Amino acid sequence: MKKRKLIHWDYLLALAISVLLAFAIGAVILAVSGHHPGTAYLAMFQGAFSNARHFGDVLEYAMVLCLCGLACVLGARVGIFNVGGEGQLLLGAIAAAQVGVWLSGVTAWVTIPLAALAAIATGALYALIPGVLKVKVKVNEVITTIMLNTIAASLCQYLAKGPWNSASKTIVAGTEQLSAQHWFGGLIPGSSLSTAIFAAAIMAFLIWYVMQKTSKGFEMKLTGQNPRFARFSGIKTDRLVITCMAISGAICGLVGMFRVYGAEHMYKSSVSNDYYFEGLMVAMIAQYQPVPVMLLSLFFAVLKIGAQGMELSAGVPNQIYLIIQTIIIFCMAAQSGISASLRAKTGKRKASAAEGGKDNG
Amino acid sequence: MKDQNEIAVSFSHVSMQFPGVLANDDISLDIRRGEIFALVGENGAGKSTLMNLLYGIHTPTSGEITVQGEKITQFSPKNAIAHGVGMVHQHFMLVPSFTVAQNIVMRQEPRKLGLFFDNRAAEDITRQLVAEYGLQVEPSAVVQEISVGLQQRVEILKAFYRGADILILDEPTAVLTPQETDELFDVIRRIVAEKNMTVIIITHKLGEVMAISHRVGVMRKGKLVGVEETAHVTQRQLASMMVGRPVLFDQLARTGTRGAVQIAVEDLTVQNDRGLRAVNGLSLQVHAGEVLGIAAIEGNGQSELLEAIAGMRPVTGGSICICGQNAVGRTPGEIRAMGLAHIPEDRLATGVSKDASVQDNLLVGKHMLPEFNRFGFHQDTRAIAQYSQQIYDSFDIRGSGIDMRVGDMSGGNMQKVVVAREFSFDTPVLLISQPTRGVDVGAMAFFHSRIIEKRNSGCAILLVSADLDEVFRLSDRIITLYEGEITGEFDPSAISKEEIGYYMTGSRSGKELAHEEA
Repeated sequence: MKKRKLIHWDYLLALAISVLLAFAIGAVILAVSGHHPGTAYLAMFQGAFSNARHFGDVLEYAMVLCLCGLACVLGARVGIFNVGGEGQLLLGAIAAAQVGVWLSGVTAWVTIPLAALAAIATGALYALIPGVLKVKVKVNEVITTIMLNTIAASLCQYLAKGPWNSASKTIVAGTEQLSAQHWFGGLIPGSSLSTAIFAAAIMAFLIWYVMQKTSKGFEMKLTGQNPRFARFSGIKTDRLVITCMAISGAICGLVGMFRVYGAEHMYKSSVSNDYYFEGLMVAMIAQYQPVPVMLLSLFFAVLKIGAQGMELSAGVPNQIYLIIQTIIIFCMAAQSGISASLRAKTGKRKASAAEGGKDNG
Repeated sequence: MKDQNEIAVSFSHVSMQFPGVLANDDISLDIRRGEIFALVGENGAGKSTLMNLLYGIHTPTSGEITVQGEKITQFSPKNAIAHGVGMVHQHFMLVPSFTVAQNIVMRQEPRKLGLFFDNRAAEDITRQLVAEYGLQVEPSAVVQEISVGLQQRVEILKAFYRGADILILDEPTAVLTPQETDELFDVIRRIVAEKNMTVIIITHKLGEVMAISHRVGVMRKGKLVGVEETAHVTQRQLASMMVGRPVLFDQLARTGTRGAVQIAVEDLTVQNDRGLRAVNGLSLQVHAGEVLGIAAIEGNGQSELLEAIAGMRPVTGGSICICGQNAVGRTPGEIRAMGLAHIPEDRLATGVSKDASVQDNLLVGKHMLPEFNRFGFHQDTRAIAQYSQQIYDSFDIRGSGIDMRVGDMSGGNMQKVVVAREFSFDTPVLLISQPTRGVDVGAMAFFHSRIIEKRNSGCAILLVSADLDEVFRLSDRIITLYEGEITGEFDPSAISKEEIGYYMTGSRSGKELAHEEA
């Protein structure tokens, strides 16, 4: 409808400056620690693109970032900040994995849908807890979701070490490996990229479509902007917030399943290494707009996988990726803070210029 | 050429540029010692900005301000106070839990041993001020327990305690009853005469300008368009100067007959945000084709009443029927479906989403209709744009177009968006709260005629307004509300504003006495 308004020029400018600044500071750090920045960055680039295997990993990681980011956007759109995606992801992963273990002899046509259902249900139910608490008793969802992350991680760890632990002695904390007939097909040999990316693409499109093009998306937007106004206008805001939170959790649960069935082929802690939080960062940098989330996911996936390659080929610790990423986030946060305070100042001045006082409440 | 000593405040070519707004444009104005000067203008005309400059809240972009013959070089409220300038803001700056005396001496407290706050001395000081200026308040009363009118006196006394002899009052009567207004004006007249003080009143109520001021300055779009001796101008002339064109307040033609009961409220009780009873066993009925006006001082339950009817606030007892259907325990959406539309009192918090476009704000509520959806869910952007453009034009909304962010609009145009949307539902019942708050004189006439049009077409309208003139102008019946109870019902043609004022204050004096005895 007003797509041109979704991405402002000042946002793009700030993003470009942040990225350049981050690479510049990264270069200084590299130089100070005795690496040649040019060589290191070249190695990073090559790490992401030089062979198909790495590029497959880039796409797989971009998929994870994108879905996690969109899950976060979905909540943010209606004014609820889902920080609990990590827990929802882990629970979805372990539930899907265990369904696969139980049904290891059954055809994939039965097992995969049931596993997906298990992932969706656990993720959604786990997200419902903070959602309902927020709507019904006004408990801050940020606190509850963070707490629930810890509980979920510990529960998964317990299950993976205890009752659902693999019989194989080599796996300390992990479930039984899935029967190979249930694995998602690999798209590039040696990489983690699987057919899950097609499902992910469809999901991403649907999320974008609902948010940007439908009347429900319109209701979501208004609810996030001014919940009182939305309720006043007859929108069932409570139900909308809870529904969005549940869907957000379901998406995270599915990401967990994709990781298990596409890449790890069992539940173990490497299913997610704070991936949801990285997706959340992407959502923040993208200012909770779906298309920028998709594009930036790819960008950060290139950086991350590239940095791993750089470590191997140039001996530069891949933490440089984290440094660059956090500097970009820092700059973007500062940018939105600075422009918000500028806007507030002009707003206040306008208001006092507009006087009457009554109007600007 | 006037004697220099006679001039209390002098603005010389003062301009104030805010980003994107020239709030004050080359203003030169002398205000004399011992006069009551009224500053009038529409919202956004720059009156408050000009006074904020005098009080040192902003520093002018160019020009000079001279106070008592001394040029101001450093702009801060502290320095302004040192020059004898005092300001009473529209929203009082008092500590609610402190006593009157503590509020008055705050920041210049009397001390024992140079260290400890001396409450007795503070109360003595307050008593002296009360005697000196004739503004009756009880020094030991806690501010949150006294009426708004008394709180205003505390603000004025605070200014005097700090040595003000040039007093700026920003919209002082907005929260007062007619009686309190009269009392305030008596006090101002007396103080100005006895103490040779200077008082500047910012207002948009022209009746008050005529009643109290010696001279009046009119501002429009940042410029001072005229300064007149009040005795030499009429209200009509001032109104035309304010808006830059003649303002016509046509007689509102009332047609049609009263129909069936559309809003029936029985024995309703509602709590406010603090959990106290705000509406107390109230019953009323509004018929089709009539406007029932509620006259009440802010905070006497009228807001809670309308919110409860609209489903925005839970009901603790009693019943509400909208068009014959029970509305208690229903969501705002369900009550709207029964046939209710609602113009809320706080348009920024409730009436619009200011981050959304005009189009979105006009659409909401109708966004699920089949004509705006393809396949029942996909927004038909062309139909939506067409529809909102048509509403935009028919309501004469002025802005950069339907894509404009509502938060960037002026108060009057934002209100037009709200009214246009709510009227577009064509419901048999309308709740209207503060329809013209912060709206200029020209737009006010427009809203009034639209509201009466709705009434004539058979709408049942429940109206709340802090502007008594508006209540009188629009209502077929008026009820007065005090502390959540109806204190009277009147025919507006058969009662005066002053008389209504008594009912609006209910049995306040009696209740206060009871408090003291208890």
